[in-house]
Amino acid sequence: MTTPTDARTTEGSATVDGIRVRYLDSGEPDPGGEGDRPPLVLVHGTGGSIEREYGYLFPMLAARQRVVALDFAQPVPADGRLTLDQLERQVAAVCESVLPGRRVTLVGYSLGAVVATALAAHRPGLAVNLVAVAGWAATDTQQRLRGGVWRRLREDRSPALASYTAFCALGGPFLAAATLEQLAPLLEGQVPGDFDDLQMELNQSIDITALLPEVRATTLVIGCTHDQMVPVRHSKALFAAIPDARYTEVASGHAVLFERPAQLVQLIDRFNARPSAQPAGRVIPEARV
Amino acid sequence: MSRTTIPRSVDVLVIGTGFAGLGTAARLKREGTHSFLVLERADDVGGTWRDNTYPGAACDVPSHLYSFSFRPNPDWSRLFARQPEIHRYLRDTAREEGLLPHIRFGAEVRDARWDPAEGRWTVTTTRGVFTGRFLVTGAGHLSDHRLPDIPGIGDFGGPVFHSARWDHGTGLEGKRVAVVGSGASAVQIVPEVADSASQVTVFQRSAPYVVPRADRAYTETEQRVFRRDPEAVPAHRAEIFWYLEAGFAARRAAPHQLAEAKAAARAHLERQIADPALRQALTPDHELGCKRVLISDTYYPALTRDHVTLEPSALARVEPGKAIAASGAAHAVDVIVLCTGFETTEPPYARLVHDADGRSLADHWARGMEAFASTTVAGFPNLFLVNGPHTGLGHNSIVHVIEAQIDYLLGALAWSRAQGDRTVEVSAAAQERYAADLDRQARGTVWDGERCRSWYVDPRSKRVTLIWPDFADAFRHRNGTFDPAPYAATAG
Ligand SMILES: Cc1cc2nc3c(=O)[nH]c(=O)nc-3n(C[C@H](O)[C@H](O)[C@H](O)COP(=O)(O)OP(=O)(O)OC[C@H]3O[C@@H](n4cnc5c(N)ncnc54)[C@H](O)[C@@H]3O)c2cc1C
Repeated sequence: MTTPTDARTTEGSATVDGIRVRYLDSGEPDPGGEGDRPPLVLVHGTGGSIEREYGYLFPMLAARQRVVALDFAQPVPADGRLTLDQLERQVAAVCESVLPGRRVTLVGYSLGAVVATALAAHRPGLAVNLVAVAGWAATDTQQRLRGGVWRRLREDRSPALASYTAFCALGGPFLAAATLEQLAPLLEGQVPGDFDDLQMELNQSIDITALLPEVRATTLVIGCTHDQMVPVRHSKALFAAIPDARYTEVASGHAVLFERPAQLVQLIDRFNARPSAQPAGRVIPEARV
Repeated sequence: MSRTTIPRSVDVLVIGTGFAGLGTAARLKREGTHSFLVLERADDVGGTWRDNTYPGAACDVPSHLYSFSFRPNPDWSRLFARQPEIHRYLRDTAREEGLLPHIRFGAEVRDARWDPAEGRWTVTTTRGVFTGRFLVTGAGHLSDHRLPDIPGIGDFGGPVFHSARWDHGTGLEGKRVAVVGSGASAVQIVPEVADSASQVTVFQRSAPYVVPRADRAYTETEQRVFRRDPEAVPAHRAEIFWYLEAGFAARRAAPHQLAEAKAAARAHLERQIADPALRQALTPDHELGCKRVLISDTYYPALTRDHVTLEPSALARVEPGKAIAASGAAHAVDVIVLCTGFETTEPPYARLVHDADGRSLADHWARGMEAFASTTVAGFPNLFLVNGPHTGLGHNSIVHVIEAQIDYLLGALAWSRAQGDRTVEVSAAAQERYAADLDRQARGTVWDGERCRSWYVDPRSKRVTLIWPDFADAFRHRNGTFDPAPYAATAG
């Protein structure tokens, strides 16, 4: 996939814990009546990358505000463990290097939502707003069950791994309208690497429950109605525990960035324009079309 | 209610009975406003879907989305219904919503004027004069077909007709037919005509992008589910809507999405056209999305048939029995079918509607169409334009935009009533800000500037005046709810 950029976008890296973390920076949008919006910082999920997950959102959101996105980097030396802390430091390092002194809107998807939420709790001065898409607070049995199957297929080098992942990631209503030919590119999938394994392992032991009351950011929690990887109850738990949170749902599977990218762009765009337009505690109904 | 019980002076006058006019009327009625009349120049409802009866006519946005959200139709036969079915849907809407007693057929609006003393619109039609406190235009922007001024066309000696006025009396069986144009209508017509005509010549000025159509019939089971589960149609609509909505990224010229869309069109062309010369002639020379991207699985294959010829230039002139292309090539033909599109950047209704000083909308719009919230115009109190300036979509259903505009105008009417029948007139400053904002929003899109010459762009000012240059749902978010602030400054 090509880089989701136009001529104005710059690529760079920030150094933290002795490793380089790659980022893209859209630069400031054309001046115009959009007011002063905080820059968006996009944080990807397990095994993701800017291109794989934010290929649509990055350029579309960049029309109205500055957007920065980063690729998580594998810590060295790899001592066989990845911690949430390390990933939080990577996001913070990119923010400090690209947007020194600026308060930002953190946008995280899946594991990226966990990282962004934890960072918002630890660094209230950094994150003025938070968008948590298909995130969760504490790994539960359904997620462990899925993680176990994934690990087993991975250890067996099973050719079914990519199909299994697509099966879990895509929503029922989306699949109802798709054909296997259309899905073929997804079903080929790449063989996961060491860093993916580390992220999957981290997935299995998340518990940021105690941090949630510490999140000061104005927060939008977005759950995915047909999500089988991070069932929507997890987003509701984040919504319930983060003090200044509002909640909405998208009728997609976990692969919301693939199934409903245009809906997500508009939700994030509107939230960043006026984060408190909806009061804390409000469940915002999904737009009827 | 009988026809005679509705006086000629009403609360709301509506022009047109397409999706815009019928949608407005149905919602007025549902909200309890019964003092309205709908003026229609033709003798039936349906607008676009009454007029375009050409062979192959069908929508290119799936029917479950290309229909009113407040009138779900579980019975759509296919993803892309054909014209008779869409026309039937609109006729059913008129009848079942109780609109027929409100419609005046054969009433072509010739003039509409704001009377500041009365605070009413005076509308002169071929069936007499009507007045209304509010005027809603739903006259369409693809309703007046464009007849190109082709030298010699009067001396052709055979049938000549426009796709939107199909001459069903002229059989094409065994005839040599010239199809002039290669836009949305031509792409639907050519495969059908090729089945009966002995020879077809397609005059193509500019090759369109064509992508797969993926049409299919709904199964009876699906239709039963749509009938019994009230959530099924809205959920299906939403799937279609958000799928199409993603297509806006290519219009915004996001590099990856634009490249992907072009690759899909290219692959379709290469799959269906083997001949390198024909492929070359069918390769578009403009940016994707600048003109409407067409969907068809049958257009390219029709062009490969032995008796079908693609003439890769415009029709330049006509001689008796001959259509002569800009390239110089002369084609002997019996019938000429004009698929030359519609009046768009200067809609005819703009010359009919006048402010208190007698200046027309067209005068106000010398630099291109402009309206606040794409709906109201400074200097034109109590006027609402539905499906007018800055409403067109290249990637999604116009009915979504029309419904948002109806919500907006119903909000304005309610506000006016709550303020003691206050006049609703937008401030010029608000309209200017809105237009400047949309100009900015259009920058960097595929419609922007030098690289695009299409019916979406006003040739006089090069402004993108027909298109809504954003997501479809952004239209509803921004323009779907009436906010009195930009109206408050004007005297009531
Ligand atoms: C062949 C074709 C296919 C299309 N397919 C699609 C599609 O798939 N998806 C999509 O989004 N859009 C499509 N469109 C665009 C289509 O025009 C709109 O979707 C929609 O039908 C417009 O509805 P409307 O009510 O605004 O205008 P119209 O349907 O054009 O209705 C206008 C009405 O106003 C009447 N009228 C006009 N002037 C006067 C006057 N002076 N006095 C009295 N009455 C008057 C006309 O007779 C007509 O009945 C298509 C257009 C065409 C031509």
